[in-house]
Amino acid sequence: MARIVVVKRVLPPSLSILTRFLTAFIGFLIAVYITSVATGLGFSETLRTAFESFLDLNVFRYISVFLPIALGLAIAFNANLWNLGAEGQLVMGAVGATYIALFTPLGKMDYIAPIASLAFAAIIGLLWALIPSVMRLYLGVNEAVTTLLMNYIAYYFSSYLVKGPWRGRGVYGYTTTDMIPDASKLPVVPGYSFSWYIVVTAFVLVAIVYLLLYKTRFGISLRALSSSIAAVELAGISSKRLALAAFCISGAFAGFVGGAEILVYHRKLVEGSIVGSGMGFTSIMVAWLGGLNPIGIVISSYYTAALYRLSFALQIGSAAIGDALAKSIIGTLFAATIVAEFVSKYKIVVR
Amino acid sequence: MNRTFIRVVDLYKRFGDVVALDGVTLDIFFNEILVVLGENGSGKSTLAKVLYGVYVPDRGKIIVDGSEARFSSPFDAKKKGFVMISQRPQLIDDLSILENIALFIGEPPSGTLAKRIEDFLKRFDIGIDVHKKVFSISYTEKQFIELAKALLINPRLLIVDEAATYLPQDLKTKFFEILRRFVSDNRAVIYITHKIPEALEIGNRFVVLRRGKVARVFNGAANPSELRHAMFGTEEYLKLVSRQLLQRLSKDSKNVLSVDKLVVLDDYGKTAVDGLSIDVRAGEIVSIVGVAGNGEKELGEAIAGLRKASSGSVKIDGFDVTKSPPSERTRKGLVYIPEDPFKEGTAVTLSIIENMRMYARERLSQDVVLDAIKKLGIVPENPAIQVSKLSGGNVQKVSISRLLLTMPKVVVAHNPTRMLDERSRALVLDILQRFSLSGGGVLLITEDVDEAVQISDKVAVMVDGRIAKLFEGGNLESFRSEIEKAMVHG
Repeated sequence: MARIVVVKRVLPPSLSILTRFLTAFIGFLIAVYITSVATGLGFSETLRTAFESFLDLNVFRYISVFLPIALGLAIAFNANLWNLGAEGQLVMGAVGATYIALFTPLGKMDYIAPIASLAFAAIIGLLWALIPSVMRLYLGVNEAVTTLLMNYIAYYFSSYLVKGPWRGRGVYGYTTTDMIPDASKLPVVPGYSFSWYIVVTAFVLVAIVYLLLYKTRFGISLRALSSSIAAVELAGISSKRLALAAFCISGAFAGFVGGAEILVYHRKLVEGSIVGSGMGFTSIMVAWLGGLNPIGIVISSYYTAALYRLSFALQIGSAAIGDALAKSIIGTLFAATIVAEFVSKYKIVVR
Repeated sequence: MNRTFIRVVDLYKRFGDVVALDGVTLDIFFNEILVVLGENGSGKSTLAKVLYGVYVPDRGKIIVDGSEARFSSPFDAKKKGFVMISQRPQLIDDLSILENIALFIGEPPSGTLAKRIEDFLKRFDIGIDVHKKVFSISYTEKQFIELAKALLINPRLLIVDEAATYLPQDLKTKFFEILRRFVSDNRAVIYITHKIPEALEIGNRFVVLRRGKVARVFNGAANPSELRHAMFGTEEYLKLVSRQLLQRLSKDSKNVLSVDKLVVLDDYGKTAVDGLSIDVRAGEIVSIVGVAGNGEKELGEAIAGLRKASSGSVKIDGFDVTKSPPSERTRKGLVYIPEDPFKEGTAVTLSIIENMRMYARERLSQDVVLDAIKKLGIVPENPAIQVSKLSGGNVQKVSISRLLLTMPKVVVAHNPTRMLDERSRALVLDILQRFSLSGGGVLLITEDVDEAVQISDKVAVMVDGRIAKLFEGGNLESFRSEIEKAMVHG
């Protein structure tokens, strides 16, 4: 009697990567096909739009958000720490950068202004992440819950600032601060909404995080935390200090991104939910999609950034249908990614 | 006479870069206990798991009663009448004994089933309430429940993967009796072990695996020396474990470990260590022997800092560390080798070299790593292999490698050799002896009286959380029977 069984398998790394890419690509074609059927647009036309999104230089606008945050999160997740608060850490970083740029003399100094703003943004992000990590390590409060809830505190805090004490004088009815001084702004690539400075920094961070996680005793122990805290402790390394460091780094990276969003994109503080716009949450997925590996995260953040672009490209014209379609395409592609993960670990046999 | 029950033909199984079975062919006859012997990492457990449907072989066949059997899960194997009992009990802690067994054999947990289980256990003088939750029973009891569970479905082949290896001797004898009675009626047992004495005690025939291949088959009698040669290719290592006698202790050598009136509770809040005191001086090997469940585990954990001490104190090299986390104790000069290398000894998701880098305070060169792998005989020798892919004994060797990579003042090791084959055991005991000769202190917490008397300066017998008796000086091997008596009777 023939039947279908699922069997575990271990592929060599090169084949495993190839399998994933192929599966993801097939998923991509399926998604494009569905779109062309739904819109009545020709298959090749739809395929072109999709490819354009992947080739559009503006993917860097999203990569410069997803990449650093996901790198930081990968450090925390590798240590089995559930930092679900990147969104809030990003927003608080934005608040920090705005403070330096708008309310301190540093904000008007050429060169110093962006550096000081970004550094302070990172520090604020770090401190925001420090609160739940201290609560976890010394009081035993589950960090997944606290980090998640603190996102909303950050949202409302930012909204309070722009509606209250920091509300700009020349903004009419809008709930934003005044524009930050020119000295604080980071130049964007003409015609696009990202800055090479941030993109380059993000890629430097990839190298740093890679070396940190795989080449230092600190990073190796950090990764060991997820399989055995006792083994790390018995090796003579304080698991608490490691966890604290991992949390702080992930908070600092998210804070940095928040600062960059102000200096590059918004150029003023806006309401919390607009600063974050869910990208801190999406970054969690980007980190996992990249297998918590810095190189993998480069690919997954590019992929996700392109999908963001694609969803906007499809929205042009009929907004309602476009939005639904965009979501279904993104859904199909992520489903394909999960299938790819499955196919690389299991095989299906008919006997 | 020798009718073939199962034929294993050219089995091949690899895990990524690791070849676990490399063309294994063997026959299993009716009415026999076939022992599969081999050093750590020789492929024994993989063979067992393939026969039980846990792994699907990459190549090769299993022929049962003349026709090919294909298992894609233990469920399939069970339908053919194959059952496996392994080293680690496969029971659900939060369910009762009755519920566990009911789940396995596919019957409701009725009163009649309870009665059948109790009757079964009574035949072996085990009186236990089957409504008890599994987490509250001892390791030994769990293994007998596993055996009952397996036998109640009336299997034809019982695969025993080192399931009796860690049982106390008297219960092991009982376990073996059950196995012997079981095979009498057109059935068979495959008994997997790395312990030669145990193999000779139970086996009718012997198959020796080496590096995934059948090295030799003994149809009938075998002697230890032949088995050793088949397993390791040598028995030179036996010379390593001879007492490199005393003299090394100068009278004024100071305590590197002092345990004073230590009280420690077990997981259920009962007193496990009851005001125990013991000192280890620099250059000295002190053993604590005891039957499992007398508080040795809790003692080791409390010294390492993995478990809180209720009262009393622990000093390492003169520093009071009673309240310190394990990491600080390690930095003060303690190395603790935990009993379970999977849970506490290593990070299994990391590679061999990464674990070693974690243990060592300084940066390790590739040479140092390869040297440690060679000295401990870790198989496979590739340092980039993930620890989870290694066999149990080899995971333990990775955990022990920290002795070669750090410069501690005192080593506390809990059953460091019980997962190891004879040669690896000798290598590890040799490392401990060398360490003490170089001025380090060793506290060896072990169930293995042999190794205690072979390498120690003092042997303390632990019963009910206390030191019942202390043996020292002269030839400790002559106290062997007295020590064993003290372990049982206090």
